[in-house]
Amino acid sequence: MIAWLRNPWGRPRGLVLVTGLYVAWSILPVGIAILFAFNSGRSRTTLQGISLRWFTGPAGVFHDPALQGALKHTLFLALICVLVATPLGVTLALGLQRWRGRGSGTVNTLMLLPLVTPEIVMGVALLILFLKVFPGLGLGTTAQAIGQVTFTLSYVVVIVRGRLVSIGPEYEEAAADLGAPPRDLIVRVLLPLLAPAIVASAAVVFALSIDDFVVTQYLSGGASTTTIPMLLYASARGAPTPALNAIASVALLITLGTLALAFLVYRRFAGGSDAAVAAALEV
Amino acid sequence: MAGEVRLEELTKRFGDVVAVDGIDLDMPPGEFFTMLGPSGCGKTTTLRMIAGFERPTSGRIVLDGVDVAQVPPHKRNVNTVFQSYALFPHLDVAGNVAFGLKYHGLTKDERRRRVAEALDLVQLGDLAQRKPAQLSGGQQQRVALARALVLTPRVLLLDEPLGALDARLRKGLQVELKALQAELGITFVFVTHDQEEALTMSDRVAVMNGGRVEQAGSPREVYEEPSTMFVADFLGVSNLLSGEASADGSNCALRVGERSFRAAQGAVDSRGAVKAMIRPERIVVEEHGAAGDNRLPGLVERAVFLGNAFELHVRVVGGDLLRVTVPNDGSASAAGEGAAVMLHLPAEALRVLAPSPAPAAG
Repeated sequence: MIAWLRNPWGRPRGLVLVTGLYVAWSILPVGIAILFAFNSGRSRTTLQGISLRWFTGPAGVFHDPALQGALKHTLFLALICVLVATPLGVTLALGLQRWRGRGSGTVNTLMLLPLVTPEIVMGVALLILFLKVFPGLGLGTTAQAIGQVTFTLSYVVVIVRGRLVSIGPEYEEAAADLGAPPRDLIVRVLLPLLAPAIVASAAVVFALSIDDFVVTQYLSGGASTTTIPMLLYASARGAPTPALNAIASVALLITLGTLALAFLVYRRFAGGSDAAVAAALEV
Repeated sequence: MAGEVRLEELTKRFGDVVAVDGIDLDMPPGEFFTMLGPSGCGKTTTLRMIAGFERPTSGRIVLDGVDVAQVPPHKRNVNTVFQSYALFPHLDVAGNVAFGLKYHGLTKDERRRRVAEALDLVQLGDLAQRKPAQLSGGQQQRVALARALVLTPRVLLLDEPLGALDARLRKGLQVELKALQAELGITFVFVTHDQEEALTMSDRVAVMNGGRVEQAGSPREVYEEPSTMFVADFLGVSNLLSGEASADGSNCALRVGERSFRAAQGAVDSRGAVKAMIRPERIVVEEHGAAGDNRLPGLVERAVFLGNAFELHVRVVGGDLLRVTVPNDGSASAAGEGAAVMLHLPAEALRVLAPSPAPAAG
């Protein structure tokens, strides 16, 4: 065993072993959870056979009005979040990249703050904001959307700025040299070059929005503003059946599908060269 | 003919660093003008100021009589071929070439015709649908050229456009670029650090150093009659001798160590401590013991075979090492290593240099 690990000519087997163990450890619970979504019995601990009853059966997720409402609300919030945070983040990234004056460094650091702020702090802060500072807005869908945009914006800025840095100023100079006024530099040159990063950041925003629990929960206003993560949390404390696993599987599938799509689009356009964005996609 | 560029007292500072230090240059219409110098000499900054990417700290950039120093790049009738080409990766070749035509108020048919013409000019007509990433370096360079020329600029700026190509391709494109310039009659302002490139292509060369113009003149002038040590050294190999100058009729008597030479070129009215230069190909190798003026005995330390010539490193009396190029003409005159020889430094090839820096001449 020791000799096998120490083989200096082959691959670094020690590292391979550790990586393999880690991957197994992180995937195993997810795999088990998905497996029990297909349980034919009511148990979430004993596998009694394979069936689709928790998806398509009378008690399955596809016939549960609460779940359907939550799914609709989750996707609606995600859509709003993508539509607001992406253009706003791209604009901010462009501005921050060009802004070299006083205060640009401070703003750059502040942009990263939401990435490192504990989400619970963010959630509580936003709650106070909506209750005390802007009581007119109230809690509910609007507050949830604003809250999600607030913390997903940073991801857009980071991804788009990474791409802007790797593009460099020369294409803009070339366009200006050829007679393009400043507006056309953005429309005809920068936006097409940024397209992969914009798609990638939109997908990240979508995935973050779908998965978010803390901020969305704090800013929710009643049953109609329940999202899938909130429903999962609530039913886990109630009487859990494999239907819960089925919901979780559906949510996981949507998230994974979005990220996979974004990754493929990014690779297609950027040749997979931008390590920063690739890393950001693995949030 | 339009296309005259005049730089007056042009200065660019980046913080405390003076990149371009008050240069004056005149580039007449239709000239192939080259700015030559080592990296950091200010040549690229000067080019970028003419293009409009950098704002001058002070001074004027006069394009056909109009000062454009404060005009943004998209409103200047000059175009640039970038060192990295900067072809738009999301557009195909035709799209790249057509990019700037949008601002010229042409009909669609006319635009298409101009693009086709420009691509024919650089012999890329059949690659119009390719993306830049699918082209070789040389082809990308041609697209960059077509993209700029299709706008019929009054001045074309070229920032080391051949720097990224291999030596063979570079040679071919040097000739083509020069022919193209002669055919179109557009003023070319070319930036390079390659002295051979500068000498073969240009009508005039400005040799730059430390943000200043050391000397401007025809390639022949700057090579054969360098006015400063820097120019002499930067343009090809040159041998430098330190000595005391004194009067000798219309020439200069140069005392180097124990020996005296007559120098007929350069700043012959200099007096006192000066440097004198002579090109390796102008030194004549003679048999040891040959007599006469301007002669210096020495020992061949190394004989390097260059193919068409030999380069001899000769340690002369007094300790200096002189480099001598002897053509490989079959006469077997190249002395072997260790041989004692006599070097003849003809007075008309020995040039007394003014100390650097000097005011720009020519």
